[in-house]
Amino acid sequence: MTSRSYLIVGHGGQGVLDLGNFLSYDAMLHGERTAYTPSYGPETRGGKVRCYVVTSDEEIDSPIVDEIDVLVAMNNPSMDFEKVVKPKGLLLMNQSLIDRVPTRRDLQVIGIPATDIADKMKDQGFALSDTRVLQNSVAYGATLATLGKPFDKEEVRAVLEHVYQGSKSRFIPANLEAARAGYEFVAERQGLKFAECGCD
Amino acid sequence: MNGRVLLKGNEAIAYGALEAGLNAYFAYPITPSTETPETLAKEFGNSKYPDFKVFLQAASELEAINMTLGAASTGDLAMTATSSPGFSLKQEGISYAVGMEVPFVIVDVNRGGPGLGNLGVEQSDYLQATRGGGHGGYKLIVLAPNSVQEMLSFPKLAFDLAFKYRNPVLILSDAFLGQLKEDIAPNQSANGHNYDISWATLGMKNGQRHVLNSLHLESDSQEKHERHLYQKYVQMRNEVRFEKMDTDDADIVLVSYGITSRICKSAVKTGRENGLRIGLFRPITLNPFPYSQLSILANQGKKLLVVELNTGEMVEDVMLAANGTTRVEQMNRLGGNVPTVADILAKCKEMI
Amino acid sequence: MMLQSVDEYETKLGVPEGWTRTPTHYCPGCEHGILTRLIATVIEGMGIREKTVMVDSVGCSVLAYEYLNCDHIQAPHGRAPAVMAGVKRTHPELTVFTVQGDGDALAIGLLGTIYAAIRAEPVTVFLYNNSIYGMTGGQMAPTTAVGQVTTTTPYGRDLQKTGNPIDIMKILSQTEGPSYLRRGILAPEPVEAKHGMMYQAKNVLQAKKIIENAFKVQQKGGYSFVEFLGTCNVNWKMTVEESKHFLYDQVAKRYPPGIFRDKLGIEGSPK
Repeated sequence: MTSRSYLIVGHGGQGVLDLGNFLSYDAMLHGERTAYTPSYGPETRGGKVRCYVVTSDEEIDSPIVDEIDVLVAMNNPSMDFEKVVKPKGLLLMNQSLIDRVPTRRDLQVIGIPATDIADKMKDQGFALSDTRVLQNSVAYGATLATLGKPFDKEEVRAVLEHVYQGSKSRFIPANLEAARAGYEFVAERQGLKFAECGCD
Repeated sequence: MNGRVLLKGNEAIAYGALEAGLNAYFAYPITPSTETPETLAKEFGNSKYPDFKVFLQAASELEAINMTLGAASTGDLAMTATSSPGFSLKQEGISYAVGMEVPFVIVDVNRGGPGLGNLGVEQSDYLQATRGGGHGGYKLIVLAPNSVQEMLSFPKLAFDLAFKYRNPVLILSDAFLGQLKEDIAPNQSANGHNYDISWATLGMKNGQRHVLNSLHLESDSQEKHERHLYQKYVQMRNEVRFEKMDTDDADIVLVSYGITSRICKSAVKTGRENGLRIGLFRPITLNPFPYSQLSILANQGKKLLVVELNTGEMVEDVMLAANGTTRVEQMNRLGGNVPTVADILAKCKEMI
Repeated sequence: MMLQSVDEYETKLGVPEGWTRTPTHYCPGCEHGILTRLIATVIEGMGIREKTVMVDSVGCSVLAYEYLNCDHIQAPHGRAPAVMAGVKRTHPELTVFTVQGDGDALAIGLLGTIYAAIRAEPVTVFLYNNSIYGMTGGQMAPTTAVGQVTTTTPYGRDLQKTGNPIDIMKILSQTEGPSYLRRGILAPEPVEAKHGMMYQAKNVLQAKKIIENAFKVQQKGGYSFVEFLGTCNVNWKMTVEESKHFLYDQVAKRYPPGIFRDKLGIEGSPK
């Protein structure tokens, strides 16, 4: 059985739950089983938000697991969850908002300035007043690259279409570009050693 | 994607009800149950669901349950969903419905604690759900799903059982299952239904008068009515449902329902990989509770560990089933916390 | 016309099929029996009895299913409007109505009463306002007068403690929903006559007309709410005669009969 567990943590407005949905849909579209568990405070903005995603090629027993394969940390407080990552697991850090340094030495750490990349997209003419909201799609693309998955534009679009339906579908082109930017950022740097990613 | 869809538990309940032929839904918003009415509001008018003729947001939980009672009195398939504080408010209407023998489906998405509590998962409505919950000593059939797939399929089962016994049926979900998203296989197209509604208040067809009433002022009349209801509770015991996993050679059997039974499944597998002979017994109907099936395991000397998200509720039923023949232990988490596989295995090691 | 027995009464006046012929439990002097009988006559006359569902409330009206020969649902205390909404929304072809007391409709059930009006549910409410909780033995009701003695206001209703009595016509008039808001009197009016007391049936006959109007409004898709003033001589601790005087001299002054809304012009020009 092959399974993978993700924990995505950030604050409200960072699109943490949508990012969990991207990963869940991505798995389902690839024929895997998946479970997505949101966990958030009562406020829709500004609170501490996290979600768990489990993917597997078999039926999933527990939708949450004791240890995480991939931690996507979107802000400083989310680094607290470093301790639940499996030995030799993966830590994807949003360097734009994290100045904390990983304490674990056994993890594969990838840093990406997801928020900055999203901010810089404001000049690309998307119908968005604030492109910062794209930081989750940047992180999504980065996750795909980190896991060595190919970037298939149509598949990513299909995922985005599942999550952004109805009036939200107008966000799809911008998110698709953001995912590509995140993917390319990591892909160009794949194989970087821990010290080289600027985390130390 | 093999025709699979990714749905949230609360959404799956809505689609399951629609596919069962839901006619009327009465809503009152309460977290974490609200995706069910939101989904139904969105699907109202969809030509795929021609039977779905009423969606109405009430001004209170009391209105919502009594609208459900009214719609169900006509023999229509009526449903309402809520979460713990709202479930308390609905008890009045549920008690009346049992007394009047009016079938409908209620969903309780169990959240944390007494009072306003919190929005986290708990299983602390267990006793309220299985002991009737309102006044007057009655029983509901209580179905406890543990996956989004079951959230989709249980509404049909719930309506079948409700009309079979002319008694409300409760789907006891929880904050975790309600918010959980899983990929599921859509139900096979619904076969429709052919429930007996000769009792329904649809006007005096053929001169036959229908009175749905829970009032019996004469003692003998009230006793007769309650004995009649009791006989139905006895018959409902035939509907007992449960699931067993690796119990045959187990030294310890975990007893758990709902979301915690999923964590227990992982614990059984991980435990066995580490040489612990653990099994799982999962009640699917919490009422009727599978007492006799569980007592067989108890009589074999297997130790029972009840894993639940309350301060000890189902453990009372497990102890009744064990009847002193074996050791019954419990472990629990509260307030939105859930036990980890490691917690469960540590407790098992302690018990051996 | 003096009638000596029930049989003679039935022979002379006829019995509507809407009546089950079950003797009522209502106390002598109470107008609940009049209301039930009038409704039976009206639904018979309108030919809607077999397409009617009555939702019985809790209070003295609760046993209506024993007397009115149509389908019945017995609702929890104060919940008749919600139950009616459930029936009518799923089955608009049915005529759906309730008879509620003032405790049921205006205290425990006020939220349901107001929201049914706001949503303009096409149902009919007949409120029997007798200023008291009758079934439970004479406690203060939302409509009890300031100073009135009841078992829970043994020294008279205290304005400081409990506020003023409720006027549901004023409250519902604030909402757009209702098509027909009407207050009438169910009790016959006591008048002095040559040989002692006599009762005039004028308001009773008008009550019958009002009931018919309310059902007509429902048939046209409107919400109708009728408040009938009635007596409760037993819990008012009065003779029947005293209670009728009290109703006309005092209650009807505080709660004047009239048309408070008539959107469809069922009693003439729309109001």
